[in-house]
Amino acid sequence: MDKMILSKNDLSKLIEELLKKNKVYGPVKSDDTVLFEEIKKPTELYLDYLNSEVPPKALMLHQTETLFKFIPGPKGKIEPVDMDEKKVIFGIRPCDAKSFAILDHVFEGDFDDPYFITKRKNTILIGLSCSTPGTNCFCTSFDDSPAASKYVDILLTDIGNNYYVEVISDLGKQVTKAAGKLFKSATESDTKKKKDAEKKAIDMISRTQKTDKIVEKLDKIFENRFWKDVAFKCLGCGTCTYLCPTCHCFDIQDESTLTKGARIRVWDNCMNPEYTIHASGYNPRPARANRVRNRIYHKYNYYPKNFDVIACVGCGRCIDLCPVNIDIIDVVTKAGEVKP
Amino acid sequence: MKEKFEPNIIGFLCNWCSYAGADLAGTSRIQYPPNLKVIRVMCSGRVNPIFVINALQQGADGVLIGGCHPGDCHYERGNYLARRRMAVLKKLLEHTGIDPNRVRMTWVSAAEGHKFAEVVKEVTEDIRKLGPMQNFKRENKW
Amino acid sequence: MVDEKELREAVEKTVKRDDVKYVVGYEKGTYGFQVTPCFAYKSEDADKFIFSPLCVHNLAVFPMLEEKPPLRRGEEPDKRKVGVVVKGCDSRAIVQIIQEKGLDREKVVILGIPCTGVVDPKKLEAKFPGKTKNAEIKDDNDKFAITIDGKTSKIAKDELMPDKCKTCEYPTPVLYDILIGKEIKGSKKENYKEIESFEKKSLKDKWQYWEKQFEKCIRCYACRNSCPLCYCKECMVDQLDPQWVRRSVDVSENTAWNLLRAFHLAGRCIGCGQCERVCPMDIPLMKLNKKIEKEIKEMFKYTAGVNAEEKPLLAMFKPDDPEDFIL
Repeated sequence: MDKMILSKNDLSKLIEELLKKNKVYGPVKSDDTVLFEEIKKPTELYLDYLNSEVPPKALMLHQTETLFKFIPGPKGKIEPVDMDEKKVIFGIRPCDAKSFAILDHVFEGDFDDPYFITKRKNTILIGLSCSTPGTNCFCTSFDDSPAASKYVDILLTDIGNNYYVEVISDLGKQVTKAAGKLFKSATESDTKKKKDAEKKAIDMISRTQKTDKIVEKLDKIFENRFWKDVAFKCLGCGTCTYLCPTCHCFDIQDESTLTKGARIRVWDNCMNPEYTIHASGYNPRPARANRVRNRIYHKYNYYPKNFDVIACVGCGRCIDLCPVNIDIIDVVTKAGEVKP
Repeated sequence: MKEKFEPNIIGFLCNWCSYAGADLAGTSRIQYPPNLKVIRVMCSGRVNPIFVINALQQGADGVLIGGCHPGDCHYERGNYLARRRMAVLKKLLEHTGIDPNRVRMTWVSAAEGHKFAEVVKEVTEDIRKLGPMQNFKRENKW
Repeated sequence: MVDEKELREAVEKTVKRDDVKYVVGYEKGTYGFQVTPCFAYKSEDADKFIFSPLCVHNLAVFPMLEEKPPLRRGEEPDKRKVGVVVKGCDSRAIVQIIQEKGLDREKVVILGIPCTGVVDPKKLEAKFPGKTKNAEIKDDNDKFAITIDGKTSKIAKDELMPDKCKTCEYPTPVLYDILIGKEIKGSKKENYKEIESFEKKSLKDKWQYWEKQFEKCIRCYACRNSCPLCYCKECMVDQLDPQWVRRSVDVSENTAWNLLRAFHLAGRCIGCGQCERVCPMDIPLMKLNKKIEKEIKEMFKYTAGVNAEEKPLLAMFKPDDPEDFIL
């Protein structure tokens, strides 16, 4: 792993270098919301943010994605979509980058999803460590850190006047080679500054979720009354699923006019009663408590059983935005303590 | 010479009065602009604002709702309810920045063939002046 | 200031009744200033209940969220009543639902709380960001007394109240079975100043503003689910045959969704502001609903959720309704 520093004044030059061959997406502030949007100039970036409202999974798994276009009728044909766009996601947080690694298991597992895989291959992730974690951040509960570098191609950490640059993958190496003169070698004091910044951020995280042996514990309490107590106040709104970096359920629809159409894939939401309704009208998850329980089990029981990783990154968006304060840290910690 | 803009207007005409009035205009060979595309509903009270907004989304430049005169509704009160509904809908559209003159309502009875033709002429010219509806039209570009 | 002891006694009395299934009220949340809905099934549960200026949520949504899961053979459905703790504005939601015959008056036991104003969580977060330890707010005449980590500071109410409280005309619940505290006379008047200044803009400017807002929408439907008056068994956007609003997320479909929801709330929205508060993208939904509220007051002299005996706005008519727009 190469260690270098980049002066903050040179950041815009790095972005301009990236803009030459790629589309660059970074945090942009509009009104009071920060979202990951395409930028055309380095000045559009807003880096003084905690985390974006909508996670960057929206750039890999678009909310509305065209799978192919078609023209109906006897002379009809199918037109595949262009997926060769090369892009850079700049300023992604380590937790959101981890979510891509988690989603890889689903989209690159038994069946290869060409849309997600192509986008993943064509995207460079330049991460930005968190210097001030939020109230509800709990990435440390999964043995991660606000400055974890495993899941990005390049990681930048703010160490005062410079950014400490860690190059992790070959894609990252290509970027630093192309913009070679902007980077200088890091000294030992720079490395120490980075370690101090990381420790300071870790100390600021005040909430922890107890997840030891959670898979076995959840196996025993599926029918327990606990779920009804915890989930009865759920409104079934769907905010938590849409804003979760690892939630990935989708629906496929055909949209058309009389002369042309397309098959599209849209985000779906397991909190919706219609999510599992059968064609016969029977609904295996009729109550909101069933659906909340399903979501927690999917993240903390089924996913670890299949892929050895808990499908939660500790970003805290669901806790910040749940209208009725259903707190996943609280729910899972309490679930671990329920006597079966 | 620039081609004249031909607006696309969807008309929801109630079966008993306005549709019959339109029929009368046709059998009396009264000429009126061909821009109105008619959808027959049983009563103007059947017209849900979903229909109006869906029409505007799919490319209609205007919507006309035709009902029976107050007091003459075949179902007693459907036209009264439609009147209230459309009043609220027009105010909402205006508030969002969509010209409320794109959504028009008229009372045309089964005997008023001439009135129907006049109404269609007036609405077509008004919407022609407003231009094509761009605001929230479906792009279908995928 | 509401006496919490009186509140808990009233809840206990209600829960002990044979014909009441549960009572829904407010309890302390899991961090910072959070307050969360809680359910009392037995008398011991009543001790969790609190009421403070942090209790912003509209709990009238819960009696309508009752699910009817499939029953076992021979099992009778549970037809007992539901108790709900409401502030002045929330009670109007229940009255409006009773007016529309969505709920029977006998099916719900209303514990009314006369309210002197609550705190807007977004304004509070902006003033005191990032609190994880539990914090308290108490009512103090025209100020809020905020206690964090033992230190108390007093802030003027106008700084932290949501807009709906500044023009509140119904501080005392309009309908109730038990009133906790004394009635408060409504002294403020609704003025629609913001709506009037927005009306002066040109059509083009208005559309530009709303297009930017609707682009943000992610169609999570949090607004619909937290609204007490959105209780259709099958919402129009979930219908697939015919499909009125497509599942794709773009300006056209988002505009259709927001306009249609605002229309469906015409004459029914009671202005609790819950939709705007829960929207994760901060879309100013109350601007749409308040405009309709203003227009129906002017055109039809109707206010939602005040009289349970009245007929709903769009289900009735008067022979002299305005018809200047009709050819």
